[in-house]
Amino acid sequence: MFTRLKTIFSSLLGGDGRGQGLSDEDILAEFRKRYHNFRLLLTANKKTLGIMSEMEQALRGQFVFGMSFVRSQATAASVNVFRIVKHLSEIAPGKYDSLFERLKDIQAQIAAVLDRQPHSEATELTLPLEAVGRETSDQVGSKMANLGDIMTRVGLPVPPGFAITSLAYYRFMNDTGLQDEINRLIQVVGSDDQAKLLPLCSQIQQMIVSAELPQSVADAITSAYKDLEAKTMPAVHVSMRSSALGEDALGQSFAGQFRSVLGVSPEDLLIAYKEIVASKYSPQAVTYRLAKGIPSEDVAMCVGCMAMIHARSGGVAYSRNPLSIRDDEVYIHSAWGLAKTVVDGAVSSDLFVVRRGDPPALVESHISLKDRLFVCDPVAGVCRNEEAGPLAGQPSLTDEEALELGRIAIALDKAYGEPLDIEWAMDESRRIFLLQCRPLQQMEAGRAERPESQFGKPLMSGGVTGSPGIAAGKVHPVRRDMDMLTFPEGGVLLCSEALPRWATLLGKASAVVSERGSSAGHLANVAREFGVPAIMGLTNAVAALSDKGVVTVDADGLGIYAGRVEALLALAPPRDTDQALHSPMHAILREVLDHIAPLSMLDPTAQEFAPENCKTLHDITRFCHEKSVVEMFRFGQDFHFSKRASKQLKYRVPMKWFFVNLDDGFVSDVKGKYVTMEQIACDPVHALWEGFVAVPWKGPPPVDAAGFMHIVAHSTVNRNIAHVDDEYAQGNYFMISNHYMCLSSRFGYHFCTVEALVDERENENYVSFQFKGGAAELDRRMRRARFVAEVLENYSFQVEMQGDEMRAMYAKGPMDVMLDRLRVVGYLLMHTRQIDMVMTNDALVNHYRQRFATEIGDILRESGEKHMSQVMREMA
Amino acid sequence: MSTCTVLLVDDEAEFIDTLGKRLARRGLEVHLAHSGQEALDVVAAQELDVVVLDVKMPGMDGIEALQKIKALKPDLEVLMLTAHANVEVAMRGMELGAFDYLMKPVELDELLYKIQDANKKKCLIA
Repeated sequence: MFTRLKTIFSSLLGGDGRGQGLSDEDILAEFRKRYHNFRLLLTANKKTLGIMSEMEQALRGQFVFGMSFVRSQATAASVNVFRIVKHLSEIAPGKYDSLFERLKDIQAQIAAVLDRQPHSEATELTLPLEAVGRETSDQVGSKMANLGDIMTRVGLPVPPGFAITSLAYYRFMNDTGLQDEINRLIQVVGSDDQAKLLPLCSQIQQMIVSAELPQSVADAITSAYKDLEAKTMPAVHVSMRSSALGEDALGQSFAGQFRSVLGVSPEDLLIAYKEIVASKYSPQAVTYRLAKGIPSEDVAMCVGCMAMIHARSGGVAYSRNPLSIRDDEVYIHSAWGLAKTVVDGAVSSDLFVVRRGDPPALVESHISLKDRLFVCDPVAGVCRNEEAGPLAGQPSLTDEEALELGRIAIALDKAYGEPLDIEWAMDESRRIFLLQCRPLQQMEAGRAERPESQFGKPLMSGGVTGSPGIAAGKVHPVRRDMDMLTFPEGGVLLCSEALPRWATLLGKASAVVSERGSSAGHLANVAREFGVPAIMGLTNAVAALSDKGVVTVDADGLGIYAGRVEALLALAPPRDTDQALHSPMHAILREVLDHIAPLSMLDPTAQEFAPENCKTLHDITRFCHEKSVVEMFRFGQDFHFSKRASKQLKYRVPMKWFFVNLDDGFVSDVKGKYVTMEQIACDPVHALWEGFVAVPWKGPPPVDAAGFMHIVAHSTVNRNIAHVDDEYAQGNYFMISNHYMCLSSRFGYHFCTVEALVDERENENYVSFQFKGGAAELDRRMRRARFVAEVLENYSFQVEMQGDEMRAMYAKGPMDVMLDRLRVVGYLLMHTRQIDMVMTNDALVNHYRQRFATEIGDILRESGEKHMSQVMREMA
Repeated sequence: MSTCTVLLVDDEAEFIDTLGKRLARRGLEVHLAHSGQEALDVVAAQELDVVVLDVKMPGMDGIEALQKIKALKPDLEVLMLTAHANVEVAMRGMELGAFDYLMKPVELDELLYKIQDANKKKCLIA
């Protein structure tokens, strides 16, 4: 049968098995060893396919992931494919060794993508603000680069200061080994749930703060500060702000993710620097990066250090309306004390609106009750919240001052040619300074007028739109960090102050309602980026809503309704979910996957099916799986070893089903050429067989008496097979043990494999089914593959398609569930023959769909009943 | 199931203490070592079936320890278990004859299966 192949194989072994004087025991031991390797190969094969499919799911945006996911999945895939190759080389020594080289090449390419370390463009550890401009943004981060630019090029007032560069950051994180240690922690603990995230983040932050700064970095900071003292006054207090590299890329604002420290005295400079670097690992920053798909490594934390302004009032100016792309008026939010008061969302702020024109005009002003303010003592440096006293109800800017800020915002908008978000402060002598300036993302949606009682009476109405949209969910009040741990998926975040740290919940929250804060705060900013509707400044919301259960939050119409108001929810614009699919993290994953997942080795009978043509890990996996099956199958023949030679199935008549017993797949020693179903002791084969014969095939075309002789793969009347000279290329070939079966079936260019492992290790159980080909033209073959895939998906198989090839897998489960899956596959093997011919006929397709569902249902019900009565008998 | 003797090597004492206890509860005989050198001493003195070895350890790292263990006892199976996800290091370990390279955190059952698989292989060669 295998004469030609045997010759090749024997010559590799240096002669035929018998010729080497091997005894039956030797051969059996040799076979056992190979079988063991075969089994391990299959485990590794299944593991590899699982890893690949998980990576592909991540790429499709089905869950958030970070660099540690990509790294560990790529490593696991490499390791498992190495094992596959190693086990194949044990099964067929020396025959496929060239695969090791191919594997090495592919792994080097994967490693190259993963190891592409961001490096610093900076040559200096610190740079004075005067030396900073947009051209240095990859050294100091865009926040500081913008400020330097405003100072030197635009000529508007910015406090004197300096920037600590990305070079300093990399020296601190990489040269000290901190980064390695952090990556290790993240991988082990995982950052995917809040309960783990909080302690993990606090551990990492502590590690950074207690680490020693490299001497060169410490010296550079101290020396830059001395220069600043010379320019201002001795012992000048400074503000220190994060200016992360990559902050403004892709519209990622990182609003409020990182720490700023105000009123820093000279002796606290270094510790404050470390605290800001550590804030890269604050829970909200980590969650934000995960959700936005930004690799942690891509964010180098630069720090800006500027002389403190003793602010009388401060706030944020938007050069256009952030909530409406059609509105070009300037929105100025202002409160008493430092700008931080507005940014942190701790109080409601005054709002001034300036209309563009010649000259610009103040068109609106809303004065709020600003009961608190945030100040830094110029001498002691201590910063604190204070009661605002009698000032609370008074405007924090005069009309002229508001107009001046409006003019500044318009000038900057013009200079940069884009909408801007500007943080400002005004000192006691009423001079305005700019503290921060970054691009502003305007939103499409605007305010909506809701006719009264259109959606019933709202529980509450009012406040301002922090982020547009409509959503419903269960109210979850958040007062302390503890409340974050219990925050439910899809909950409505209800808080008193719009604190930036609540932003970590925005990946989960359906909507935000806050008693204080404005659309200018960090929380509102991030809510807009995440597309989470938010109402800010809704007085008494916490008391009024805490126990209301599910509510519908209408941030466009500024109302909150009891329960889910479907008619209102229907008005919500669809949420843009594929934004994250274009993130830098996805780009890295895609690049890594390019070396792993694409499959080009499809046809095992093709000349090109060879080690040197393996381009990806998937190709190698596929190649090895195919070859391992072939090699195992040949063993008995090559060694003239009847105990492990294949037996032909006799079911009424001899069929083209051949069985090799790998281990304990037969009830007893089978003498002679044939084996019967009763002699087979393999549960998966029996289940497959049950499905196969349960319902006689009705055609088309009508099956003749010898119908069963038509092997599975003989499903198609394939007239284009001309050169099949290898007999192995025709027939159904089973390798079995008690719990395992592998069926390879082919007829010329059509092939299919069914593989199943069903035993007590539930986690390792699987049924996989792949097929490709057919006699019809490609379009119909693809339609059939899709049709079969659809049926399998109804039984919870994971299915992947590529052209006319379909790969389905059902993994993990108790034995009876797995065996049912095999019955389904058995049924499909029998009944999908030739239906490729009718795949363009919708009525017929529908007919088949319904018939399949009914008949499979019957088969499973029957086997279920049999199983139950057996259980009952055993119990009786 | 026949008893299987494993050696767990990791500088994180708390980690292998806990893991050791859980494996012992599942019927394995467990030895612990907190450094590469300590591991070599145990390997030289004890009959073992499987070694579970961390990669990043102060002093002698896991790759070096693996090399020395394999030199001492070529048939002893070594599983790398590490938080260090690095394709190159993993490949180096596999080329040096590690049975597998697992990444923390690993489910107990999965580790147990791996130990069983590695153990069976060793028995086959013997």
